[in-house]
Amino acid sequence: MTRYELPAVVVEHQRRGTNLYELILHAPPIAQSATPGQFVMLRPLRTHAPLWRRPYSILRANPDKGVFSVLYSVQSAFTELLSLKPIGSTVQTLGPLGSYFQPVRAAQRHILVAGGVGAPPLCFFAARLAPTLTPDEQILILEGARREDLLVGLDEFRALGAEVRVATDDGSRGYKGYVTDLLAEALNEPLESVVYACGPNRMLRVVAQLCMARGVPCQVSLDAPMPCGIGVCLGCAVKVNTPDGGAWYKRACVEGPVFRAEEVVWE
Amino acid sequence: MMPDLSVNLGELQLRNPVMVAAGTFGYGLEYQDIVDLSRLGAIVTKSLTLAPRMGNTPPRVAETPAGMLNAIGLQNDGVDAFILETLPRLCEYGTPIIVSVAGETVGEYAQVAERLSRVDGVAALELNLSCPNQARGGMEFGVSPELTAQAVAAVRTATDLPLIAKLSPNVGDIVPIAQGAVQAGATAVSLINTVLGVAVDPKTRQFRLASKCGGLSGPAVKPIAQYHLWRVRQALPETPLIGVGGISSAEDAIEFILLGAHAVQIGTANYVQPTLALEVVEGIAQYLQVNGFESVEAIRGVVY
Repeated sequence: MTRYELPAVVVEHQRRGTNLYELILHAPPIAQSATPGQFVMLRPLRTHAPLWRRPYSILRANPDKGVFSVLYSVQSAFTELLSLKPIGSTVQTLGPLGSYFQPVRAAQRHILVAGGVGAPPLCFFAARLAPTLTPDEQILILEGARREDLLVGLDEFRALGAEVRVATDDGSRGYKGYVTDLLAEALNEPLESVVYACGPNRMLRVVAQLCMARGVPCQVSLDAPMPCGIGVCLGCAVKVNTPDGGAWYKRACVEGPVFRAEEVVWE
Repeated sequence: MMPDLSVNLGELQLRNPVMVAAGTFGYGLEYQDIVDLSRLGAIVTKSLTLAPRMGNTPPRVAETPAGMLNAIGLQNDGVDAFILETLPRLCEYGTPIIVSVAGETVGEYAQVAERLSRVDGVAALELNLSCPNQARGGMEFGVSPELTAQAVAAVRTATDLPLIAKLSPNVGDIVPIAQGAVQAGATAVSLINTVLGVAVDPKTRQFRLASKCGGLSGPAVKPIAQYHLWRVRQALPETPLIGVGGISSAEDAIEFILLGAHAVQIGTANYVQPTLALEVVEGIAQYLQVNGFESVEAIRGVVY
């Protein structure tokens, strides 16, 4: 897998919700090779504090225009620096990085479970998956957030022909409760399903358990503190089962962030 | 005229004084698509132990002001896998390979060193003296002159390779430690390893690292590294020194050289700017040229 270390040019900051912005970056090599589930490491300025780059899942990529985008909200010194980058300036970028969602072709229904900030890679995945579906396949989006105004991409999912079910913690939209409740319900419906999920790790644990208990194939995109993204610092360690019955740590930045649910040791 | 960037650390000769520090550059190959490895002064590998090690429970890293804490727990594939699978490919770049050696006992350091000295392609060994000593309840080897000397002496008898002792800054006086290492046979000394620290998350009311305590690195530790280097320089003027700690620009590297470092290592900065080491090589050359110096040696140790 080829990755690029380059200065990406800021094309636009597009407002997508309450304190939610889509940063569109021009970087043709990354836009052309990015696969849904993959991410980039961004560094807006050469600062000592914040020191680390930050990983951002790719929200969409347009190979023809050479642009890709990520979603951010301003909530830290880092994201403030990112938000202040003028159009035409550059953001040092490494990517595309990591593993990606792999469509399971035997399924009748592809269930994409998005929790909060986990929506972007699933938006990208849905956009690439929808045009390839056979008439027997369908996409079901289950999206959860704390409040209605934090839900991302609902219109786009619908435009792709996907069915969308929503859960919010405060009940401001859709089901009042967790998105995992919607998943449990959906898995009881008589369809061959496969699940792809991204969100907080505690949500992913429930998703994985629901799927594994029913023998439903499940891919999860895990979050981990990530200083390098290159595969050297071993900070983003994820405990996985090894074929010999033991356990070892894999790197969320290289072998991940997308893992098969049964590979992960859910602690 | 192009200034002379080459440096000699005892028997170890480098084309330029810029290395990448242990643990921050993997085994080297991880960067081959991003960094031209053949232009580095040397590559110091991730620390190797006798058997593969799984490492610590996550979270293992935490960002701190101008730095980071890590407690990886020496996760590595073991020395044998390195020799078989990685070393031959790494050698193709023609850049000196310095292998970082770790151990929980004096005997483990010696055994790892012995295996590495039986194969071609290793230019030198660097002893990671910040490992927890099993026999002393996990205390770092590098906090005691005796333990440091024991580890260095054991490795010295196991190999003829140039030996670099990487010192811990978590001591009251680093000079006796450096003296102990050199008397026991270290050819050079690199300083510093990470500074002990903790970080707390007010949201979860827990330590940010699962192992609570970790090693601080990054720009925040640069003055500490420069202080220790300066002190060892005064006490051991003949010993080649390698400055490491918080270097994130050519200027930072030049500061270490002015204080007496023969060479420098780029550490944590590799994570956020993989090409920094090459930038530092160019920056040093430019600095020498602009200021009318013919070689790195001409500016070494002029600040004391």
